[in-house]
Amino acid sequence: MPDGDASTLTFKLVYYGPAQSGKTTNLLRLHEQLAPELKGEMMTLETQGDRTLFFDLLPLGFRAPSGLLIKFRLFTVPGQVAHDGTRKAVLSRADGIVFVADSQRSQETNNAEAFKTLADNCSRVGLDFQAMPLVVQFNKQDLPAAVPPEEIRGRFSAAPWPLTFASALHGNGVVATFELLLRATFRRYAADSELSSRHALDEESFVRGALGPAAAS
Amino acid sequence: MNDSFDRDWQLGELLDERQLAQAGSALGELLGRELAICDAADHVLWGILPPAARRLPLVIELEPLGWLVADVPEAALHGAAALLTQILRTQVRFKMASHLHVQAMSEDFETLRLEHARLLESEARYKALAEQLEKRVKAQVAQLEERQQMLYEAEKLASVGQLAAGVAHEVNNPLGFVRSNLSTFARYLERISELKGQLAAGPAAWTALDLDFVVADSQDLLQESIKGIDRIARIVAELKSFSNVDRASEEYTDINECLRHAAGVIDGQLPPGVNLRLELLPLPPLVCLPGHLNQMLLNLLRNAAQAIADAGRPGTIVVSSEADDAGIHIRINDDGIGMSQEQLDRAFEPFYTTRPVGTGAGLGLSSARNIVLAHSGQIELASTPKAGTTVSIFLPVAS
Ligand SMILES: Nc1nc2c(ncn2[C@@H]2O[C@H](COP(=O)(O)OP(=O)(O)O)[C@@H](O)[C@H]2O)c(=O)[nH]1
Ligand SMILES: [Mg+2]
Repeated sequence: MPDGDASTLTFKLVYYGPAQSGKTTNLLRLHEQLAPELKGEMMTLETQGDRTLFFDLLPLGFRAPSGLLIKFRLFTVPGQVAHDGTRKAVLSRADGIVFVADSQRSQETNNAEAFKTLADNCSRVGLDFQAMPLVVQFNKQDLPAAVPPEEIRGRFSAAPWPLTFASALHGNGVVATFELLLRATFRRYAADSELSSRHALDEESFVRGALGPAAAS
Repeated sequence: MNDSFDRDWQLGELLDERQLAQAGSALGELLGRELAICDAADHVLWGILPPAARRLPLVIELEPLGWLVADVPEAALHGAAALLTQILRTQVRFKMASHLHVQAMSEDFETLRLEHARLLESEARYKALAEQLEKRVKAQVAQLEERQQMLYEAEKLASVGQLAAGVAHEVNNPLGFVRSNLSTFARYLERISELKGQLAAGPAAWTALDLDFVVADSQDLLQESIKGIDRIARIVAELKSFSNVDRASEEYTDINECLRHAAGVIDGQLPPGVNLRLELLPLPPLVCLPGHLNQMLLNLLRNAAQAIADAGRPGTIVVSSEADDAGIHIRINDDGIGMSQEQLDRAFEPFYTTRPVGTGAGLGLSSARNIVLAHSGQIELASTPKAGTTVSIFLPVAS
């Protein structure tokens, strides 16, 4: 459940995935491409080489017609296997998740293992994985070794989650991924948080508020 | 509100009083004016609120977590607020990282603790199971031992009974003909005494009474009777060696003697058409329990005889012995019905027999093996269905 009081509602959205799949790059591009009413500085915590040791944080926000401040805190988790405790701590109380997979064929096992830890860790930190708004992004589509979308779609045809394809490095598909997560998140919490009934927000205005007018999705 | 790393941090948490005072007075020096640092709710945390001053928000994420208030030109206040924000940003990063670290460590610790608890629990379960199993195995072993002992006793009684029957048969036969010989001989003596009344007739009386035949036949009768009695004596002697089967003392024994005894006992009980041949080579004396070995050999011979009888045709049991440096080799071979693979596989199992228990078919090979093992020896079975069976026994001789 998003965290909040009478004046604010905060959605914690987590970018999860194997090491080096492009989670940090996703946040960097979102920071560049989104123009919501409120956009904070990107906070990148303690990197070791170019690897995320703790997390990255991008704050975004807008005000609903009711005056309610809707905040989004986008986190990335460290992908390295050794940081499972950190991953769990960052994941805890998440309201939505983007799973960033690396499209390269050689990364299939890493993707699968990371996805399994996501499901496991969700249940360990008390999140209902089945009900969790989740978008699966296949990043690095620009690379020649990337598995093509048709093949990935075929393989995921039975999975319930929306799939997106991106090359975060070049800024492609990043906003579209975020938009899909926003929509899933809205649908999941709109009723519980009285977004429409009390705060005059429908799905479109929720998405537009978060992306801002300039965002090309 | 909570202790998690990603909560909304308050200005008062990020800078304590001493840090606020240091930052505030340094900024005051730079601006050359009084200033105040307020929290999000506009409470002064440090300094003195100047009247009619400018104020700038201190923003880390989206919303002000405090205010810098001073009566200075806009650009100067901007610079000061930027500096203070930078300090706060550094503090936030430090606080989040350290809290996350603690949270992650306790997560890992909690995971470890849970895993440890699970391990302890499964170890306890395993231990309980092992104890239960051990108890059950012990109980079953005890039951098995008891049953085996009972079976052993039953078989022993049966074989003693059979031995007695064999002995009775063996003794009855010579007894019968010795008795009949003796009564014939008594009649012959009467005939000879008739000669006394006919002495006057001279040699003709001898002829008339056919005494040539009587004397010759008497000789035969007596010879046959002596043989019969010798046979009885031999049976009694052999019986003696079986009469102390359970004598547990070890003694130097010639295994060939045991084989001859066993053969002697079984000889009279062999069904028609079953021959027994001994091919015994000299053996060194063996320290053993002769009573047990005798019983085992007798049982093996019985099995062999039965196997030939079961084949429904004549056959021969060949008992051979020889010695080498290691010890004594005994082979009991029959050309009887043989054993199937299943019978061979199970032959040494206790209680496994192809015949009804208690019929004196032998204690079974499991007892035989126990006896051989008690002598540190080996017993092996080779068999071909319908062609016969060979039991090979090796008994080591202590050097
Ligand atoms: N070719 C290509 N490289 C990418 C893409 N996205 C990220 N990368 C590179 O992959 C590496 C890891 O990216 P990063 O965002 O740090 O991954 P993270 O560990 O998931 O945070 C960096 O060198 C990125 O430049 C992409 O779409 N295409
Ligand atoms: Mg990263």
